[in-house]
Amino acid sequence: MSFLDILILLATGAGYTVLVTLLCSATGMVVGLAIAMLSRLGWRPLDLLLTLFTYVFRGVPVLVLLFIVFFGLPGIGISVPPLVSMMLSLGLIAGAYLGEVFRGALASVDPSEILAAQAMGMTRLQTLLYIELPQMLRFAVPGMINEFTTVLKYSPFAYTVGIPEVMKQAMALSAATLRGVEIYFAVGLVYFAIYKLLVTLIWALERRYRVPGLTEER
Amino acid sequence: MALLTVRNLVMEYDGKAVLQGIDLDLDEGELKVVMGPSGCGKSTLLRCLNRLATPTSGQIIFRGEDITRPDTDVRALRQRIGFVFQNFALYRHLTTLENVTLGLRKLRGMPTNEAVERAKHELRRMNMVEHHHKYPAQLSGGQKQRVAIARALAMDPAVLFFDEPTSALDPLMSREIINVIKQLRRDNVSMLCVTHDLFLARSVGGRVLFLDQGVIRAEGEAAQLFDDHADPRIRAFFSQEARDDNPL
Amino acid sequence: MTFLQQVVDFGPQILAGLGNTLLLATIVTLTGLVGGIGVFYLTLSQSRLCRRLTESYISFFIGTPLIVLLFLMYYGLPQWGLRLSPLAVAVIGFTMNVSAYNARYLMTAYRGLDQDELEAARAQGFSALQVFTLITLPQVLRLSVPALTNQAILNLKDSSVAFLIQYTEFFAQIQDLAIRNFQFFKAYLLAGAVYLAMVSVVVVAARWLERRLVLPG
Repeated sequence: MSFLDILILLATGAGYTVLVTLLCSATGMVVGLAIAMLSRLGWRPLDLLLTLFTYVFRGVPVLVLLFIVFFGLPGIGISVPPLVSMMLSLGLIAGAYLGEVFRGALASVDPSEILAAQAMGMTRLQTLLYIELPQMLRFAVPGMINEFTTVLKYSPFAYTVGIPEVMKQAMALSAATLRGVEIYFAVGLVYFAIYKLLVTLIWALERRYRVPGLTEER
Repeated sequence: MALLTVRNLVMEYDGKAVLQGIDLDLDEGELKVVMGPSGCGKSTLLRCLNRLATPTSGQIIFRGEDITRPDTDVRALRQRIGFVFQNFALYRHLTTLENVTLGLRKLRGMPTNEAVERAKHELRRMNMVEHHHKYPAQLSGGQKQRVAIARALAMDPAVLFFDEPTSALDPLMSREIINVIKQLRRDNVSMLCVTHDLFLARSVGGRVLFLDQGVIRAEGEAAQLFDDHADPRIRAFFSQEARDDNPL
Repeated sequence: MTFLQQVVDFGPQILAGLGNTLLLATIVTLTGLVGGIGVFYLTLSQSRLCRRLTESYISFFIGTPLIVLLFLMYYGLPQWGLRLSPLAVAVIGFTMNVSAYNARYLMTAYRGLDQDELEAARAQGFSALQVFTLITLPQVLRLSVPALTNQAILNLKDSSVAFLIQYTEFFAQIQDLAIRNFQFFKAYLLAGAVYLAMVSVVVVAARWLERRLVLPG
């Protein structure tokens, strides 16, 4: 079996790796946006709750949370499928981090534009949707890339809950062929390729929606 | 006919009275300029009038309706008042054209093509239509302010409020904006302008109110107030300002 | 027997695990810092090739999961006849990975530095290495304190990955406890709470360090 054969075999698991990464990133986006927007409403009890959520989910290791959800919850009568377990662990943790990214980006929106929107007669929600959100998302691109990369790098944990992604394929292959060094090196290359593809895609998207003078050229 | 009647308007902030009983009348089609030293409450006054700030007491009658009442539809009121800011406050992620159409589309529910027509009409009036595809960062200060005025006019407001419209501009660009205000005056647009730019106040005509320490100290034609007024504080203000930023 | 009693009975093993967790996290935080400074130094090299290679190193390790490197060394290398202990594998793997991240933080800080100051030092007759150790590094390190302490917190949390290569750290012992009494939910929840507590201690220490080290202005 040549190195190329190894790469091709591993690539069959890449689909699941991408799926896990996308699902967890999407969960993170939804949760992060919700955190940032809800904290913008400035409602004290809610703020406290969001701060607590962020603190807890940034303080617990991904692997531990994944085990709580997948192996722990069935013990109290809640069984969670593997992919959903990934979303509820890696996804929620990504959400806590993205919430911070978005909050920081919202702080970069010029307050005078928000005032102008209010003076125009917009509701708080309209201001958020039409002024703050479109600007914030552009400011947050570097932070989002960091977080999506992190999600990709934690996605191999999916093998511990039985999802047949790249890592799981590699382990089976390694046990069968005893060529672990080459195989895991190939795994590294596969992840690096996915990472490069992901980053390139996001920057292409950013260029498509870039506004002159709003964010720095890269 | 009275567009705006303000009676005994008081605004307290942190226990400090910023406005202490303001009386002000603005007729339809009239232009009034409010002047005064910084911290005199000029900006607060404008913000009370469109309820960005809530006055402590007093009455504001806007086209026959008391808008200090708690059941006032504040957002509907704001849509009828065009607000032009000192620092332009254009939406940086939108083009010139989108800045003007946003309110029409999202607040008035106007179809896009109709909103674009209307926006282009206002931009043409401000001599900015050829820049409609540019983003705010690509415009000069004077151009930004003209887009901001077009954005306000597009909503077909009952009155335009200007909050220090020239203080972020160099003298040449200030001239641009002064000419725009004069043109709007000829078109009978009702305007209330807060400024400490003497040249602006003198050039646009209209009655000048002198606001100091939360009260209107004097009201009259520009020439009357500027030249050797009996009140020493007024005299001091105008001679000081004349020295500070005489654009000529 | 209640869960609490079981935890107490299992206490010595859990404490030993905690010790191993802290040992690994502390070692890799230090080696990662030294490695990061080394890699950062190479990114400033005069040689284009050296800069290119260093940047590829950083990019590769930021783009690939740590666990792949750990598996390569722990499960792959013995097939080539090289058997390393779990701790050795973890230290080598983490160091290579964390160095790449730390180097990137230092590079970001370096870009924000006043270049005139470095120019002035060079003009004064300092050698390149002297400029680096006396001017560049102290400033860059101070600017990076928040990022570096953040990395230390990540190291502490990520050390749990080492249990997948049979390193008997805290989470591995919790795993053992859970398997014995079948109280998976409680055991893992306890693990989460302990990590949260440890992270909180590091956060407090990091804030203290930031207050002391970050330059005014």
